Amino acid sequence: MNASEDHIAAGAPLLDIRGLSLAFGGLKAVNEFSLALRPNALQGLIGPNGAGKTTVFNLITGVYRPDAGSILLAGRRLNGLKPHLIAEAGVARTFQNIRLFGDLSVFDNVCVACHLRTGRTPAAMTLAAPREDAPRHIAFRAARTGAHALLHMALTAHDLATVLLRTRRHLGEERAIRERALHLLSMFHLDHRKDELARNLPYGDQRRLEIARALATNPRVLLLDEPAAGMNTQEKRDLAGLIRRLRDEFRLTLLLIDHDVGLIMDICERITVLDYGQVIACGQPSEVQNDPKVIEAYLGEPMPHAE
Amino acid sequence: MDGLSVGSLYALIALGYTMVYGVLQFINFAHGDIVMIGAWLSFWICARLGWAGNDAPPSLARAAATLLFAMVVCGTLGFLIERLAYRPLRSAPRLNILITAIGMSLLLENVGQLPIVFGTENQGMPGLLPKETLLSVAGVNITLIDVLIIGCSIALMAGLNHLVYSTRLGLAMRAASFDTKTASLMGVNINRTISLAFVIGAMLAAAAGFLYAVKYTNLNQPAFPTWILLGLTAFVAAVVGGIGNIRGAMIGGVLIGLLEKFGTAYVSSSFKEVYVFSILILVLLFKPTGILGSARVEKV
Repeated sequence: MNASEDHIAAGAPLLDIRGLSLAFGGLKAVNEFSLALRPNALQGLIGPNGAGKTTVFNLITGVYRPDAGSILLAGRRLNGLKPHLIAEAGVARTFQNIRLFGDLSVFDNVCVACHLRTGRTPAAMTLAAPREDAPRHIAFRAARTGAHALLHMALTAHDLATVLLRTRRHLGEERAIRERALHLLSMFHLDHRKDELARNLPYGDQRRLEIARALATNPRVLLLDEPAAGMNTQEKRDLAGLIRRLRDEFRLTLLLIDHDVGLIMDICERITVLDYGQVIACGQPSEVQNDPKVIEAYLGEPMPHAE
Repeated sequence: MDGLSVGSLYALIALGYTMVYGVLQFINFAHGDIVMIGAWLSFWICARLGWAGNDAPPSLARAAATLLFAMVVCGTLGFLIERLAYRPLRSAPRLNILITAIGMSLLLENVGQLPIVFGTENQGMPGLLPKETLLSVAGVNITLIDVLIIGCSIALMAGLNHLVYSTRLGLAMRAASFDTKTASLMGVNINRTISLAFVIGAMLAAAAGFLYAVKYTNLNQPAFPTWILLGLTAFVAAVVGGIGNIRGAMIGGVLIGLLEKFGTAYVSSSFKEVYVFSILILVLLFKPTGILGSARVEKV
């Protein structure tokens, strides 16, 4: 922990992505993508449809494994880790098409994500988590897999035992989770609907619940994938306020995808523009706005000049 | 009464099918064999500890110890089966893992038959519990064993209900069963959750195996069709209750048990399986998602 705090203090980026590439067959979905987010930054990621924006999110959160490149969070390598360990490390996200647990109550949706922060020590799991960096000798790999399975079995038994025996610590943890979830729901004005099934919420509430759920994992970096999709002007204005508030109150670092370029220009300090999987521009809104490459990507070929 | 006690056994077994289906959408055909292993392990430990003789006095403590032993060993076995046989196939097409499950089922039966394991002889389970008839009401005999079976099943199911609906492990399980990928992005350790479903399922199956052995005392050899049928009937119970639904499995189990016993008593015992499987057909025809399953309408 200390090492990573020192790292931040030195002015280094919190999230540092370098040379990230991923190909689906012959299609280079993301090509040499680089991005550096300073702590407490609010950055936008835009680009035409199919530019690879969501793929970048999927790479960061471990849904896909990159073919090349590295993702560092406060100096710690994230690529190659399983999604739940990346969430544990402090990266949370929402989804373009809402992916709440529809059959669970609003309250339970948030509780699920609170589980990460119950003071358990998964360090052993992280250490033993198989990585695919260096090809190692097969005996080494077999031994590591065996050790991992044993550890996994012990932890499964331990989980079951604490829950069945209702240890005081376990009951305390469960209470802490409930309190935290309620607190988050009230922040998002969803507390009065906490017992409804998530799928019965109106659309706008579902969007906000997704953000609340992501926050429940207590992230350092929050990735928002088209949070304004399907919202009207008033709702978008509220959302912009909410995003700014989140950044200040939770001291979050945010990366935001949206098709509403106006919204992004309005709230983001810096913007990265992606086209065909490549970064074509990166800078302050005013710089990006006038970048000929960006205009070309959005509007097509520039008109041939008469000269 | 008999129907209720058999039904609660079916319910215990059905829970294992339904939980695994809930998280993995796959039918663990080896689950019925865990019941057999549980029953045989109970016998094995009793024989080992010298509790097997006919003169051995019934003892509740010994019964509890046997039950615990069977549950712990089968829980471990369930964990290993998932880890070694199913996990490597997690991303393979669903059919592969289904066939593996059938293979695992045959493997368990045949390993069970090995002379160094349980052998191919039928055995008699020692009477760990007194064969007393507590009450006789209107021609219905209520035996102590039936009462204990029902009590034990209810206790286990209440425990499971608590685990699934009011603890964080259960919540993780329900979230994973709704959407595995999103659950993992919210920090749920999917592998652990899946292991847990297998371990709990196997423990309940072991309990059912133990109770079955205590009730019927005659233990057929490990690959005998009764075991397979026991597993299949419980599977039907899970489907009837709505597969993937835990409370549905409990209701389905009791329903199938009652149906089977009433059919046997009032119509004919040779059609025992017919009742069970005709219910399956009826449910599949008229309410394919089972009693508690809700049809999910796909939004366009």
